[in-house]
Amino acid sequence: MGKELLKIENLKKSFGPLQVLKGVSTNVCEGEVVVVIGPSGGGKSTFLRCLNLLETPTEGTIWFNGQDIVHASEREKNHVRSEMGMVFQHFNLFPHLSILGNITLAPQLVRGLKKKEAEAKAMELLERVGLADKAKAYPQQLSGGQKQRVAIVRSLAMNPQVMLFDEPTSALDPEMVGEVLNLMKALAKAGMTMVVVTHEMGFAREVGTRVCFMDGGLLVEENAPEAFFDNPGHPRLKDFLSKVLK
Amino acid sequence: MWQTFLDDCRLCFIKNNRWQYLFDGLGVTLQVAIQAILIGIVIGFFVAVIRSSHDKYGRFPVLNALAKIYLTVIRGTPMVVQLLITYYIILKSIDSKVIVAVLAFGINSGAYQAEIIRAGICSIDPGQMEAGRALGMGYWKTMFRIILPQAVRNVLPALGNEFIVLMKDTSIVGYIALIDLAKGGDIIRSQTYSVYVPYLTVAAIYLILVMFFTWLLGKLERYLRNTGADVVQNNS
Repeated sequence: MGKELLKIENLKKSFGPLQVLKGVSTNVCEGEVVVVIGPSGGGKSTFLRCLNLLETPTEGTIWFNGQDIVHASEREKNHVRSEMGMVFQHFNLFPHLSILGNITLAPQLVRGLKKKEAEAKAMELLERVGLADKAKAYPQQLSGGQKQRVAIVRSLAMNPQVMLFDEPTSALDPEMVGEVLNLMKALAKAGMTMVVVTHEMGFAREVGTRVCFMDGGLLVEENAPEAFFDNPGHPRLKDFLSKVLK
Repeated sequence: MWQTFLDDCRLCFIKNNRWQYLFDGLGVTLQVAIQAILIGIVIGFFVAVIRSSHDKYGRFPVLNALAKIYLTVIRGTPMVVQLLITYYIILKSIDSKVIVAVLAFGINSGAYQAEIIRAGICSIDPGQMEAGRALGMGYWKTMFRIILPQAVRNVLPALGNEFIVLMKDTSIVGYIALIDLAKGGDIIRSQTYSVYVPYLTVAAIYLILVMFFTWLLGKLERYLRNTGADVVQNNS
């Protein structure tokens, strides 16, 4: 196991009177694939969105490479986000930009890459995911699976230290889920550190190095995939698994 | 009948070089309208970004309060009254009536453009801002490179409408004795006692102006749609 990349301690988040996260503590080490599963409304997405500070935690601390990022300055937070890739359920590609424009914008604006360098890197990544021929196309011309692969490439172009996936296959037609999961598997195999919120139990079992079960704003159980699925401890997890694994 | 019409035209346009009233007036109208539109765009963007930043993220409470007062006052009082107040009170010391008119119309149009652009910003999915921020781009970078290009494209028809209204609204500058196209026609009428030819000509010129403008905006709209509006890439 590599060094500790993310350390989360007593993370709490409330939206008005509603407390969504009620004190989550865990960590993510280099090269790990942490898969977070659980029922809707259990706080999975909020947890993920707190990690790159899209949501500001109400309480608790997150360390990224040993740096407290919750209490960092706005500039430092921007830098931290640039080191964490995020893939959204609804892709969130920029519709006014071509695929190439989508991928090269942030490397140019945030990393200060020249347009040529950014494009070369983008083409190399597109080549790798088999979408090089779509470089000049616009997002609305792509299928859902293609859009999500482009979104992953857009994050990869920033050379992130960790990738966060927020239900990346939930908005896809069933026949497109495979291509996205395969790309994520390849990423995991290449050693990318990943935190994945998903409902894909097969992916959790096969690719995850650790699986976490979140319910009611708490991290109820976390374990290696085999033990997690074959030997669930907590009754709520047993109940959940009995419903999703028929 | 035909002879009377030709005589009228001769009287209104050729005698004493009266066509110059219309020609110079047209120049003033264009000058005021175009500069006011540009000022309005700057104010509009500024106010729209402040208003929506406040409503969505609670930023700039003080500037937002000022922006709200500005919108209320400008949209709540008639243009003619604003023009007169600007001329006789606020900019009393400025001699150029064109500058007075440009500022009065620019400030007025800014309020309407601000609300149009704000509607455009509201129409953009919050995921766009999140995606930009998640890539490490700051709030302003994301606003200018991701949100606004899409917002403007969405509200271009409404903005075009505002430009057209503004162009025609400048015809009230006669109130501060600035001789624009409308006032030019009015002067010809007062000198010749002929009503049909000067006023109908003025109306026709306004109509041609607006048609040209509409055509231009339509072209821009189609361009943005067809190319997918590759605004950001071209800029970088």
